[in-house]
Amino acid sequence: MSVLAASVNVEALIIFAFVLGLTLAITYWASKRMTGSDSFFAAGRSITAFQNGLAISGDYLSAASFLGIAGLIFIFGFDGFLYSVGFLVAFLTVMFLLAERMRNAGKYTIADVLSFRLNERPARTAAAAGTLTVAAFYLIAQMVGAGVLIQALVGFDFSVAVLLTGVFMLCYVIFGGMLATTWVQIIKACLLMVGITIMSLFVLGKVGFNPVELFNRAERNTTPESTFSLGPGTFLSSPIDTVSLGIALVLGTAGLPHILIRFFTVPDGKAARSSVVVAMFIIGGFYILTTFIGFGARAFLGQEGVEAAGTGGNLAAPNLAQFLGGGEGTFGGDLFLAVIAAVAFATILAVVAGLVLSASGAVAHDIWTSIVRKGKPQSDKEEVTVARIAAAAIGAIAIAIAIIGGEGLNVSFMVGLAFAVAASANFPALLLALTWRRFNTAGAVTGVAFGVISSIFLVIISPKVWPGADAEGGLLGFYDLANPGIISIPLGFFGCWLGTMLGKDETTSERSFDELYVRSETGLGAEGSVLAPTQVPDRAPATV
Amino acid sequence: MSDPSRDSRIDWKAAEQSPEFRDLIAARRRFVVPGTIFFLSWYFGFILLAGYAKDFMASSVYEGLTVGYCLALTQFVMVAVLGLMYLKRAQNVYDPLAAKAAQVALDAGREQGRRS
Repeated sequence: MSVLAASVNVEALIIFAFVLGLTLAITYWASKRMTGSDSFFAAGRSITAFQNGLAISGDYLSAASFLGIAGLIFIFGFDGFLYSVGFLVAFLTVMFLLAERMRNAGKYTIADVLSFRLNERPARTAAAAGTLTVAAFYLIAQMVGAGVLIQALVGFDFSVAVLLTGVFMLCYVIFGGMLATTWVQIIKACLLMVGITIMSLFVLGKVGFNPVELFNRAERNTTPESTFSLGPGTFLSSPIDTVSLGIALVLGTAGLPHILIRFFTVPDGKAARSSVVVAMFIIGGFYILTTFIGFGARAFLGQEGVEAAGTGGNLAAPNLAQFLGGGEGTFGGDLFLAVIAAVAFATILAVVAGLVLSASGAVAHDIWTSIVRKGKPQSDKEEVTVARIAAAAIGAIAIAIAIIGGEGLNVSFMVGLAFAVAASANFPALLLALTWRRFNTAGAVTGVAFGVISSIFLVIISPKVWPGADAEGGLLGFYDLANPGIISIPLGFFGCWLGTMLGKDETTSERSFDELYVRSETGLGAEGSVLAPTQVPDRAPATV
Repeated sequence: MSDPSRDSRIDWKAAEQSPEFRDLIAARRRFVVPGTIFFLSWYFGFILLAGYAKDFMASSVYEGLTVGYCLALTQFVMVAVLGLMYLKRAQNVYDPLAAKAAQVALDAGREQGRRS
């Protein structure tokens, strides 16, 4: 088997090697500072608000955001931008409802918050299940995306590309934990912002720094058969589906475990809140620049560039970079392509590392410590060891599924599913645990179950998945939504309510809602806070 | 136990009902509730227009600049403005109130600790 596909981009290889070398050096540095669970899961809560804002951006902006949205705008125009708006506004949800409260109430995982005042084992199991479901779908989607992109951009074989991504991702997480992951994400965010800013300047330079001229040129470059439009409706043709997608985007981010655990890495709630604002500005700026890339690709590559841009237009941004650098075969063109390819690779690595870390936390801190060991005090060492083994296992499974499923796996379907589950299962349970006095264990378990099951079921019966991409109408004639949010999110909340009403009253439980409420709002007793300078020991095992 | 919030046996119920904590909750709600309603309405207004008023969104404001793109940009402005407003209010109003509420709860706890 040949490791390399037809042509290998040498410039890309050199830049890749440089970026990978840098991340490995950081991992080595971080591994020397590893002292226990606190550093492995939460980087010793030593990350500043600004650093965390960068890291959130690095954690959040996946290849789907960079290459995917630029490609969607290139092919469909306005509808691609609709995603950007949803992805960004979602941070208001995170900031107003969850950021500080998460930091004040939790330790390492979102299950900490959910199980704070509920019956520990079922609540933790439910939260861990939600976390693992989201992380699994998102991770496999990113791995497949990585394989496809690296194959196209550098020339590696698909399986080799997936394996390479997986190995580096596991290196960061296993040896460097949260500290290494954070710095990989920070570097990625800087590379991505610098890369997209330079590209945008090149694009705008070609139209005399007049964005309106860019839109005009993009529109002139449409042919009768093209799908591009400066107005909505070319990609998202069904209005109700657009609304459904919009709901999942704006609430889904507030249920993404790899984003929420970032708030545990800062010293206090204030830093958590500031870091969201930093991330908002970086991510907002990024999405505005993405439109210049997408419209620029349309203006300069035109309809002829659509085929070269591959599925979903994912290669529009790299192809545009090549064009801006001087075109195919020129040194400038190859170099610019190589830089953007390396940025895309770093982008993927930072996201998958965050995902694996959140999943390993759910296994080690929630399932192992609380469910297998039944909450008996564990040594830090054991928790970290279990987390490392879990990360290796999760990584290996994701690599295997990505390679076996291959390029045939539908990436956007899995990302959509991850957001749907996050918005329908994790978000309702978290929000209600923090704000609703009456909420109880049965409510949390039912809510998560309703959210997970309804999202997966509705995505499976959506017309594009079953019978298939080109089918007319769905399996069930009356149901033709591609995005389940508008049904599954209310179902998640309904599940929380129903379970609460049917379950037994827990308002008098050992750790009360009052304690969680005061703690989450004031930071009193929060992990590593000034008011609680020493570790709060995990709750004693629940008496059965 | 070394955790002061446990040492001092905080009465969480009393802390939750303390006027200082109630002030904090009320102050935060005064901003977060209308803020959330506003941003969700503005966002879903945009999404609904994109779904149901495609021609309006595609109409041109100035040459190639469409209504849709302009409205999308207002979402970016909204995020920036609400984000900064919240940050400022949190620093100036909520943080002092939260510190006060926490202090009252700790003091009450210590008081109780000494008596028992």
